[in-house]
Amino acid sequence: MRFMNGLFLAGLVMATPALADDAARIRELERKLERSMQLIDELSAKVQRLEQGAAAQAQAPAVPAAAEQQARVEALERQVDQLGTGLSRRSLEEAAQLRGFADVGFGYSGENNPAFGRGRKGFGVGNVDLYLTPRLGDRIRTLIELTFEIEDGRTEADLERVQLGYAFNDAATAWLGRFHTPYGYWNTATHHGAQLQTSILRPRFLDFEEHTGVLPAHTIGAWLAGSAPTAPGRLGYDLYLGNSPRIDVTPADGGKLRLQPEGGTDHAPLYGFNAWLEPRAVEGLRLGVHGLRGTVEDNATPASHRTRLGFYGGHAVFADGRWEVMAEYFRFQNRDLWGGTGTHRSWAGYLQAGYRIGLATPYLRLENAQLSQADNYFATQRFGRSYRRAALGLRYDLDPRAALKAELIGTDQDDVGTANDRYGEARFQYSIRF
Amino acid sequence: MSFRKLLLALCFAASGALADGYVIGHVTVNVAPEEVREIFLGNMQFAGSRRLVPVHNSAVQGAFLYAVVRMDPDRYADLWLKKSFREGVMPPPVMLGDAEVLDFVRRTPGAIGYVGTNPGSANIILKY
Repeated sequence: MRFMNGLFLAGLVMATPALADDAARIRELERKLERSMQLIDELSAKVQRLEQGAAAQAQAPAVPAAAEQQARVEALERQVDQLGTGLSRRSLEEAAQLRGFADVGFGYSGENNPAFGRGRKGFGVGNVDLYLTPRLGDRIRTLIELTFEIEDGRTEADLERVQLGYAFNDAATAWLGRFHTPYGYWNTATHHGAQLQTSILRPRFLDFEEHTGVLPAHTIGAWLAGSAPTAPGRLGYDLYLGNSPRIDVTPADGGKLRLQPEGGTDHAPLYGFNAWLEPRAVEGLRLGVHGLRGTVEDNATPASHRTRLGFYGGHAVFADGRWEVMAEYFRFQNRDLWGGTGTHRSWAGYLQAGYRIGLATPYLRLENAQLSQADNYFATQRFGRSYRRAALGLRYDLDPRAALKAELIGTDQDDVGTANDRYGEARFQYSIRF
Repeated sequence: MSFRKLLLALCFAASGALADGYVIGHVTVNVAPEEVREIFLGNMQFAGSRRLVPVHNSAVQGAFLYAVVRMDPDRYADLWLKKSFREGVMPPPVMLGDAEVLDFVRRTPGAIGYVGTNPGSANIILKY
């Protein structure tokens, strides 16, 4: 009996978990059944809606449904087109490529006179010029140019151009900022891009203010430019207004033109124009006239000189891919506003001709500048002296983006402390663009 | 007709057939055929108030430059480099072939390009 009771108790203990398992399983089955019922209800409702829709569609004419579908497809196509167009325009407009120029070389100068001392000999680095032209929309224009060059053993970074513009149409684009002063041809056509110009050196009087130039190669101000087709040919113009430069007479190596990048306490304006015609009758020919006026003061002590700078002139360029012939002329009429010595007349000009034979372009340039030393504007500038120069050179294009140039130069200059100073130079340059 | 004249005539016809191309524009572009050269030289960037978006077609660019712009590719590249440096404008971008040009021109207001095969219903500005 005791044994039987034990067996019963043992069976009860073992059966208890089994009973609990069954109860849980039943609850799970009930939940599943409930979910299935809900699903059946939902499916029934859906079938009912579909049946109602099908009945309505059967009653309605088929054409509007097809038209609606077509309209949807067309709307989708339009959206995709607009997206594609937007992306294409954005990719074209926002592509701001970094471009630039660089040049290196060596040279020998036989110059030796009291004004300039002995000329330089040996290898040298020219400049590295970087420029960006990002387009930010249909009409907004930007041009940023940064130049690195060696000056007196130091690497100088110079913000050459920062131009922000707006194109109204082909005949009018307005710019604000620092730009290449648009007089004549050379100053805006090549500027710091050594690879762009056929020769190694620029004409001496048209060089940059920090080198041997005697004119304001850069202006900080506003510039309106454009061109339009006319019966005789394409007619273009430039009108500009900016800050007059000053002549800094304090550097040890003599006076140089200095821009006024932040304006001045006594602002003196500089303004000018350039107008040109590219005649239909002669492909590759460009004829132009230009003029500039400004008031330039120096920082001499105890009293600074003040000069009304004024020049006008013209240019003729013919470039047909084989011939490149350029000529520019500048006539100065500078009025002394300080000493009352009157108006002083000077002139400068050059003629350069090159002829391309395959990859080689031999060229010749003649320069002449007769600059009055009674004129404070020239007399206070280190390179404001009269000179005559002839340059004979050969350019060889290794590639459309790389050129080797060799140049022989003979200079005959006045006003350098001796009656007359003549010297020769030989230069070699390797220049690239990228 | 002598054999020589026949040969010359055949050569001329063949060269004409090879040089065939079509300058096409978006439906919004309404320019005269003689203005196409000015557009690709960058001298004409607007037609009325609309900015023009010229694009090149690398597959037939050389033939187009010789026939319409009347310039060899090197000189054309040189001209645009100087223009870009001087005026801050960019040369027309280059597309890969007729299909890409057709698609771009169809989708882009102000676009103008050229193709080497008959573009069908596209807005043809000039046949060269």
